[in-house]
Amino acid sequence: MSDAPADRTDSGTAAGKAEGAGFLDRYTTRALVAGVTVAAVVALLIAGLLFPDSIAGTLSDALTSRNTLAAALRLSVPIAFAALGGIFAEKSGVINIGLEGLLIISAFSAIYVADLTGGVWVGFAGGVVASTLLAALFAVVTIGFRADQIIAGLAVWLIALGLAPFASQVIYGSPNTPTVATSPSITVPVLADIPFFGALFSASPSVYMLFAAVFGSWYVFERTAFGRWIRASGENPKALDTAGVSVTRVRYAAVLISGVLAGMGGAALSLDLGQFTGNGPTMVNGKGFIAIVAYLFGNYNPVGAFLSTMLFAGLDAVQTVLQLQGIGIPRQLIRITPFVVVILVLALVGRTRLPEAAGEHYETEE
Amino acid sequence: MSAADRARDALSRLVDASATERILISTAALVLSVLIGAVLVLVAGRMTTCTAGEAVYYFGTGFCYDPVVVFDRLFLGALGDPFSGSWSPNGQFAVTLRESTLLLFTGLSVALAFRAGIFNIGTQGQMVVGALATALGVLWASSLVSGTLGTVVLIPFGLLVGAVFGGLYGAVPGLLKAYADANEVITTIMLNFIATGVALYLVSGIFKDPNSAANQTVPLPEFAQFPALLFGGRQDFSIVALLFGLLAVGALYYVLEHTAFGYDVRTSGVQPEAAEYGGVDAKRTVVASLTLSGALGGIAGAMYVMMVLGTFQTGIPAYGFDGITVSILAGNNPLGVGIAALLFGVLKSGTTVVQFATDVPPQLVGVLRGLIILFVAMPEFFRLLARGLPGAGSKPKAVATDGGTDGDRGGEADE
Repeated sequence: MSDAPADRTDSGTAAGKAEGAGFLDRYTTRALVAGVTVAAVVALLIAGLLFPDSIAGTLSDALTSRNTLAAALRLSVPIAFAALGGIFAEKSGVINIGLEGLLIISAFSAIYVADLTGGVWVGFAGGVVASTLLAALFAVVTIGFRADQIIAGLAVWLIALGLAPFASQVIYGSPNTPTVATSPSITVPVLADIPFFGALFSASPSVYMLFAAVFGSWYVFERTAFGRWIRASGENPKALDTAGVSVTRVRYAAVLISGVLAGMGGAALSLDLGQFTGNGPTMVNGKGFIAIVAYLFGNYNPVGAFLSTMLFAGLDAVQTVLQLQGIGIPRQLIRITPFVVVILVLALVGRTRLPEAAGEHYETEE
Repeated sequence: MSAADRARDALSRLVDASATERILISTAALVLSVLIGAVLVLVAGRMTTCTAGEAVYYFGTGFCYDPVVVFDRLFLGALGDPFSGSWSPNGQFAVTLRESTLLLFTGLSVALAFRAGIFNIGTQGQMVVGALATALGVLWASSLVSGTLGTVVLIPFGLLVGAVFGGLYGAVPGLLKAYADANEVITTIMLNFIATGVALYLVSGIFKDPNSAANQTVPLPEFAQFPALLFGGRQDFSIVALLFGLLAVGALYYVLEHTAFGYDVRTSGVQPEAAEYGGVDAKRTVVASLTLSGALGGIAGAMYVMMVLGTFQTGIPAYGFDGITVSILAGNNPLGVGIAALLFGVLKSGTTVVQFATDVPPQLVGVLRGLIILFVAMPEFFRLLARGLPGAGSKPKAVATDGGTDGDRGGEADE
C-alpha cells in the first residue's frame, strides 16, 4: 500500500505537478468561497448594527436569531446524515447517487413502523433498516453485478420515489401518511439559555445524533484501520488487494454504512414532523442531491460536509425567517435559492478530486 | 484519467454490448420488472383490506388486487382493447400514441446526450422551459395571424420557440461542464428544481390567466394547436405530431451516424481521449450536444402545450425522467428510442386505465420505471442468468469474447 504514492510521484513529473497545481487552485477557490461567505455575513452584521431599520438590519436580526440556528440545525439533519453516508460510499469507490431514494424510503418506513408499533424509536430503527436494505440492493447490483453506478443510483431514487407513495396509498389510502407522535426535544439546563448558541443545547435528539455521527465518521476515517481501508479501496484498490484486504468486502461495508446513515437522516426527517408526505418529489424534495454537493464542497471530510450543509440549511432557515417577517421576495423564488447556490458553488469550485477509482468496478486478481 | 472519463468509460461499456444482446437484455429487463411488479401487487393486495367477494385467490390465499387484471388493463387497456371488437381510433389507443409522441422527444433528448458521454437528467427542466416559452410566444404571435394560415405558421413557430429556449437552458449545464468542470448530473438535477420553481413563480404571478383558478397561462386559440386528423380530437392526439416525432428519430439517427458532428459526438462518448487526439473539440462538443439535447426536450414541452394542454400549467408530468428510461431501454439508439417510446407510452397510458379499473395505486408504474432502469443497467446479471451459473466470479475478458453466444443463449433461457 505504501509504495502507491511513491509510484505516482515517480511516474508523473509534469502531469503530477499540473494536477498538484490544479488541486491547489481548486483548494484556494474553495477557501475563497468560504472566505467571501464569512466576510459577507460579517459585513451584513455590522451594517445591521449600524442601520437597524434597513433591510440589512432585518437580515442580521434573522441571522443572529436563535430560531434561525435552531431551524438550520433541524434542516441540516437529513442532508448531513445523507452526506456522511455519501462520503463512506464514494471514498470506497462507489458513487452513491441514490441517496435521495434512501432518504425517501426511510422517511416513509419510519412513519409506517412508528404508526404500527406506537414507538418513535422503533420507527426510527425501521427507517434505518429499510434504507439499509435498499442500499444492500444497490451494493449487490453495482458491486456484485458491475452495473453502472450512476444509472443504478438513479434507479434506486426512482424506485423509492414510486414505492414510498405506492405503499402509503395502499396502506393509508393517500400518498401522505397520518401523523404519529414525535419525540420531545432534549434541553440541557443553563446552557440552553445562552443567546443564539443556546439552540445547540435545546434540540431534537436527532441533532445530537448528527453531532455524534459527524464525530464518529471523522474518527473512523482519521484514526481506524477500517477508515484507511475505505480510502485505499477508493484510491488504489489494487494496493489494498495486495495487502490482503478484500476490496469487495470493504465496498459492501461502506455502501451498507451509507444506507444506515442515510436511513437515520430520512427517519429523523419524517419523525421530526410526525408525518410522511409523498406528493410530487415527496418531502425529501432534493435533499439527497444537495447532500452530494455538500460533501463534494466539504471535500469528503465529515466535518467539512457538515459545515457546508449548515451553509445550505442556514440559507434555507434565513429564508423561512424572512418569509415570516414578510420581506418582499416571492416565496417561490426564495425556495429555489439553495439550488441556485449549489450550482454557483459547483461552478466556482468546479470538479472536486474524486477518489482515484470511484465509479470503477474492481476485479479481484487471483 | 479523470472521473468524467471513467464515467464515459462506464457508459461505453453499456454501448459496447451488441445490438442483439441489447434487445434481449431490454426484453428480459422488462419481463423481470413486470414479474416483480406482479409480486408487488400481490403483496400490496395482502396489506390492504377488501370484502371477501372482491378478493381473488391464488395458491389458496386471498388477495385484494389481481396482478393479471392489473397487467391486462395496463397493456391491453392502453391499446384500446384491440380484441374486444369495439376498438376505435378515438379511444385509449390515441392516448397511448400521444404519450409515445412526447416520450419520443424526451427519449431522443436523453439519448443524444448519452451518446456524447453526458448524462442529461435535466430534460425535464428543459421541457418545462420550452413549454412555458412556447405558451407565451405562441400566445403573443396568435394575435397576428389566424385561421388555417395561423396553424401553418404558428405550429412551426411554437416548436422553434420551444427548441430555442429548451436549447438555451440545456446549454447552461453544457457550459458549466465544459468551462467550470461542474458535474452535469448534479447541475441538471438542480436546474430541474430551478425551472419548476421559476415557472411556478411566473405562472402564478405576471403570466397567470386571470380567468382561471389554476396556475396557468391564457389558453391558446384553437388554430394555434396541433390539428386533430384521423384520430378525432377527444384525446388530444395529433398524427401530425407523431409524424414529426418519427421524422426526428430518422433525423437524429442520420446526424449521429452520417455526419461529422455525429462522429464527434459518438467518439467523445466512447473514447474521449482518442476523440481529442483526433482533433475533436471536446468543450464545443459538450456544449453543442447538451444544447441540442435541451432543444429536443424543449420541443417535447412545445408539443405538450400545443397538442395536449393548449396552455402552460404548472406540474408538467415527468416525461423528462421517463425519457431517461426510454433512452436506457433503447440502448441510446435513436431507432431504438422509437420502439421504447411506444412501449413506455403504453405504460403511461395504461396507468390511467388501471386507475379506473382497479384500486391499485398508479405509483406502481413509477416503481416499474425504476426497476426497468435497474435491470437494464446490469447486463452482467442476465449474462450470468443465461449461463446458468450462480455466483459472480467471471473474468470480464470471458464476457467480451463470447458475449455474442451468451446473448443467444440468453434468448433461449427467456422463453
